[in-house]
Amino acid sequence: MSDDSLIIYEEEIQRIDSLLTKLLKGAEAKCALLVDKDGHLITRQGFTHSLDTTALAALLAGAFASTKEIARLVGETEFSVLFHQGKKDHIHMSIVGERSILVVIFDDRTTIGMVRLYAKETADELAKVFSSLNDRPQHDGPEVPADFADSAGEKLDDIFQD
Amino acid sequence: MVSINYATREVSCKIVFYGPGLSGKTTNLQYVHAKVPSDTKGKLISLATDSDRTLYFDFLPINIGSINGFAAKFQLYTVPGQVYYNATRKLVLRGTDGLVFVADSQPDKMDENIESLNNLKENMAEYGYDINEVPIVIQYNKQDLPGVLSVEEMRPILNPCNWPEFRASATEGFGVFDTLKCILKIVLEKAKTGGTSSNSKPSKTTEGQPATPPPTPNATPMATGPVPTGTPSYEPNAQTDTGPIQQPVMTPTPAPALAPAATHTAPAPVPEPPVPNTMAPADQETPALVPTPMPPQPEISRQEVVPQTKRSYRPFPGNTVEEEKNMSSSDGYPGTQMTGQLSHHGSTGTNSDNQSNDAKAMVPRMQASKPRRKRSFFKRLFGLK
Repeated sequence: MSDDSLIIYEEEIQRIDSLLTKLLKGAEAKCALLVDKDGHLITRQGFTHSLDTTALAALLAGAFASTKEIARLVGETEFSVLFHQGKKDHIHMSIVGERSILVVIFDDRTTIGMVRLYAKETADELAKVFSSLNDRPQHDGPEVPADFADSAGEKLDDIFQD
Repeated sequence: MVSINYATREVSCKIVFYGPGLSGKTTNLQYVHAKVPSDTKGKLISLATDSDRTLYFDFLPINIGSINGFAAKFQLYTVPGQVYYNATRKLVLRGTDGLVFVADSQPDKMDENIESLNNLKENMAEYGYDINEVPIVIQYNKQDLPGVLSVEEMRPILNPCNWPEFRASATEGFGVFDTLKCILKIVLEKAKTGGTSSNSKPSKTTEGQPATPPPTPNATPMATGPVPTGTPSYEPNAQTDTGPIQQPVMTPTPAPALAPAATHTAPAPVPEPPVPNTMAPADQETPALVPTPMPPQPEISRQEVVPQTKRSYRPFPGNTVEEEKNMSSSDGYPGTQMTGQLSHHGSTGTNSDNQSNDAKAMVPRMQASKPRRKRSFFKRLFGLK
């Protein structure tokens, strides 16, 4: 399963962040998150300090996964866009490539149409970034330390004590 | 799958607690949430029914902080244990890096343990995952209860692959952290080895071979109880049968938990050679139990065993005989005739049936609203009385 590991490097994160920032400015949304379909948060931009983005990512990925099953039941492959409407804030989700979800949280200062327009444009750009990431031959970033697991094991022993 | 973010220097792993309904998966997470330091844990999110049965998943993020410049984050999930939630259960399994199988040690729950383990293998196979390559730890939960099966009795059935295993009681807390530490260490080790090479093309030397054997956990897994395993490891064993676990031969035995079911019908002929009764109660002397290689058994599928107990559906915890009779007309999944069962269970007013509680919890969503008074509009329109 490690063959499926999602490995993101600093260069890609910078490109992704700049795309998300551009999306936020264009659509006048509050914040944007890029979430792995497994529930891992990849990156975020905008006003996210008051949000529990870790939990949000897991729940949004779960919601997306369940709608995919619903789509399958009605004969669709998947629903590529998901929209939650609230009283003040709304959430727009769209698929990016094979394994990521672009989440945009916005309020009534903008419209769903604007968000949808910019989200689609950004999703296409992000898909290119992920595509180039897959084609990348090998990483050139900092490696995970060799004794990472051993050191983590010691820390786990310290934390998990009855 | 492990997520490695070099920009934020984070390694994120997903651990799923799997097992039959009411085996203690959520209780495991609740214990962890209650006991770990507050700066380590996030908020425990539980998507559950009104009767506190897991509907989709429970989620607990753990962040153990920076280690040599990299932060290790873990996302602990549980799945809904009931049979009819398999669709959502499968969704949670997606992208898992490690599994904890929480088995219920009570003698009458062995059927459900076996069914759940087989279901796990099926669901993993549907995702294209090889269960031999995913770190798995077995937890024999509820060991604090009287009359539970011993690990020696359960191991041949639930853990023929010699995965690391632990005795535990999620309510009292022993064994919970040992289980968690073990799976996290194995997953981290695998993340390190897999993460550094996964982005490059796999070399021919690693292709087609079993996964790199992970380091055996340093601590003996049986820290909470003497369980004589060998060296615990999830190292793939080529000789191990990882196919569906067969039901142990459910011949009528003196075991009290199984005797009532066996007395209803004539027992099926026992295939030779006889298999040691691994379902004996814990307090009964069971000498000469051979834990590992099971003697060659004839192919016994679950369907062949079920008629002995005259059950055409999976028994649910807490169901009474009358309720089982009422459900026998369905297709075996009580959830499919939920509204039909609602009035019956609702009228009894008992809380004994957890499944019916689930059904009651879904009443508002499943039932249609009151019938409209269609004629009133036309009456008003035409001035009729």
